[in-house]
Amino acid sequence: MTITVELFGIPRQRAGVAQTQAEGARLDEVLADLARRFPLLARECFAEAGLQSGTMANLNGQHFVTDPATALRPGDSLLILSADAGG
Amino acid sequence: MERPLTSTPATPSGYHGCYLRIDLAHASAQRVPLAEDVLRRYLGGSGLGVYLLLRERSPSVDPLTPAAPLAFVFSPLVGSPLTTSAKFAVVSRSPLTERINDSLSSSHFAIGGKRAGCDAIVLVGRAAEPSVLIVDDGEVRLEPAGPLWGMSCSQAETQLRARLGHDFQVATIGPAGERQVRYATISHDGRHAGRGGSGAVLGSKNIKAVAVRGTQRTLWARPNELVALAKQLSAKSFGPATAKYRELGTAANLLVFNRLGALPTRNFQRGDFAAAADLSPEQMAQTHAKTRASCAACTIGCEHIYGLKGGDAQQPGVRMEYESLFALGPLCNVGDPDVVLSASRACDELGLDTISAGGTIAFAMECVERGLLDAPWLKFGDGQALLRALGEIGRGEGLGPRLAEGSRRLALALGRDAIHFAPQVKGLEIPGYEPRALQSMALGFAVGTRGADHNRSGAYELDFSQRVDRRSPGLETGGLAVEIEDKAALMDSLILCKFLRGVFVDFYAEAAEMLNLVTGWQTTPDELRATARRIVNAKKHFNVLCGWLPAEDTLPERFLNQPLPNDPAAVLSGERLRGLVAAYNTARAWSREGYPSAEQVADLGIA
Repeated sequence: MTITVELFGIPRQRAGVAQTQAEGARLDEVLADLARRFPLLARECFAEAGLQSGTMANLNGQHFVTDPATALRPGDSLLILSADAGG
Repeated sequence: MERPLTSTPATPSGYHGCYLRIDLAHASAQRVPLAEDVLRRYLGGSGLGVYLLLRERSPSVDPLTPAAPLAFVFSPLVGSPLTTSAKFAVVSRSPLTERINDSLSSSHFAIGGKRAGCDAIVLVGRAAEPSVLIVDDGEVRLEPAGPLWGMSCSQAETQLRARLGHDFQVATIGPAGERQVRYATISHDGRHAGRGGSGAVLGSKNIKAVAVRGTQRTLWARPNELVALAKQLSAKSFGPATAKYRELGTAANLLVFNRLGALPTRNFQRGDFAAAADLSPEQMAQTHAKTRASCAACTIGCEHIYGLKGGDAQQPGVRMEYESLFALGPLCNVGDPDVVLSASRACDELGLDTISAGGTIAFAMECVERGLLDAPWLKFGDGQALLRALGEIGRGEGLGPRLAEGSRRLALALGRDAIHFAPQVKGLEIPGYEPRALQSMALGFAVGTRGADHNRSGAYELDFSQRVDRRSPGLETGGLAVEIEDKAALMDSLILCKFLRGVFVDFYAEAAEMLNLVTGWQTTPDELRATARRIVNAKKHFNVLCGWLPAEDTLPERFLNQPLPNDPAAVLSGERLRGLVAAYNTARAWSREGYPSAEQVADLGIA
């Protein structure tokens, strides 16, 4: 299954793109696909079982998700962004 | 003035054990001892500042009258090798909210002020003429401000340092502070103690600038261990937890907030902005020259300074923060980055809080649209109108004096339903977090002791997490918001920059270790938790003495019971907000209405 991934902040800087498509039916599968294609993103933003503490994931601009087993549906957009909204 | 007598009691390391109390009317200075017990219970910065103001009976005094106290407060960590510790608080009763106001700023003024030989400088009275206050290694004198009066913040700072010597550090007000604009700032080295109008308080005292210099360093209890810890902290501060601030700055929030429908636009009429991409740091880095800078003693370097296109090469660039960007851009429906940069520069030079300036102007733009205000030139999206309005505020011309009062007073003067869409809580304009889309933050705004504020309550952290549903938070949010607010109170009193917060694994334990290495105390994490609670209790007690009422802890009608137009699911009912406020009060062990208990007030130790 292909979903849309939108990147913001440091994840965008590391991936070098604002948006891409990725394969996977669960959060961890999508992250694994991204890690293969964007090694710098993976090294600085991803952890073994998900995301590093400075990075967050959000589904469709609605809910933040952390569980690697989070199921994704066709048409979903996964947002990957820097933590710490303050400023 | 005469040199004050030194009568310092036994003092813990990291402190001088006294503050300078300067009566500007009588040109006299007194060195007042601070007991170790007081320092340990309030630390410094915001905490010590509110204690000093309570002792000065500040709540019973109009903040713009001569008797009103204004405190510059340093902290035990200032002058230490700990990264981001060169910070100071400016604390007073706010002329904008008439409640407690603690504004923080940073850099060499903190170091210079503490080396002058005191833990705080408290100003009372009013100088007979526009003056400069000079605190030179403990000696205090007033000099006529002369031609400095009327100058911009940066001009005045440059000229005064040229006159006194570059080893002086200078905090100034701009023309806005001289005119007592209720959201005027105090500026140092381009940074501002920004919110709540401390610049107006200083202006009301006829003080254009405070210059500090000194040679009096405080000891560190365990210097070798402190240096080792500082190196570790600096190393961590270079890591991924702060990469966002280093590489993009706080403006990186813009596109995220826009995507989540939480970017306040057109005076909070929407949560998304069509031209957001043009204002983003990602885009501006492509279209504008950019440099970076840091505060003194900081390893993060969050400041991103942009050059204006076609601007004067001799002019310095413009620091651009998310809050300035949102308030002078989307909130006024302005999408031209050069206009927003120019507006931000105007605020810096006039000495205006960008959030309150943008919020008040955006509100006025809507009032014009609705026929409540006769100023047809002041239209949403008109960048030149925005710049004109800022200029009129700074010069006290045209519409300026009305806008200088802030959105709440302007709304009350205009009447009809204007107060329902004035973007403020307790009179303080709301920062760049759409409350309907970020409802934990809505709670933080409602209960904030200094009004709608994102620095004292960081409840948005909950909205940007899986812990709560940001558009339908449960009552557990009350207790979670307390935890975050307490942490901020401690950081603001130690003082450390909040951009460090992501590097701590166990904040209270790590904070206790830092404090103990500096002071020699045996502080525990639990003691610091109690200290943080006490500081928040002290602020609330201050407000109660000012006449605070439970009805203040809410949001304007605009934000209640109606969906955010760009997100039908973003509805904050009045009932939900009232429930969250009650849950917050319960978590604080206050009454359900929000009054601290008699035991909590007694614990403050204010005679």
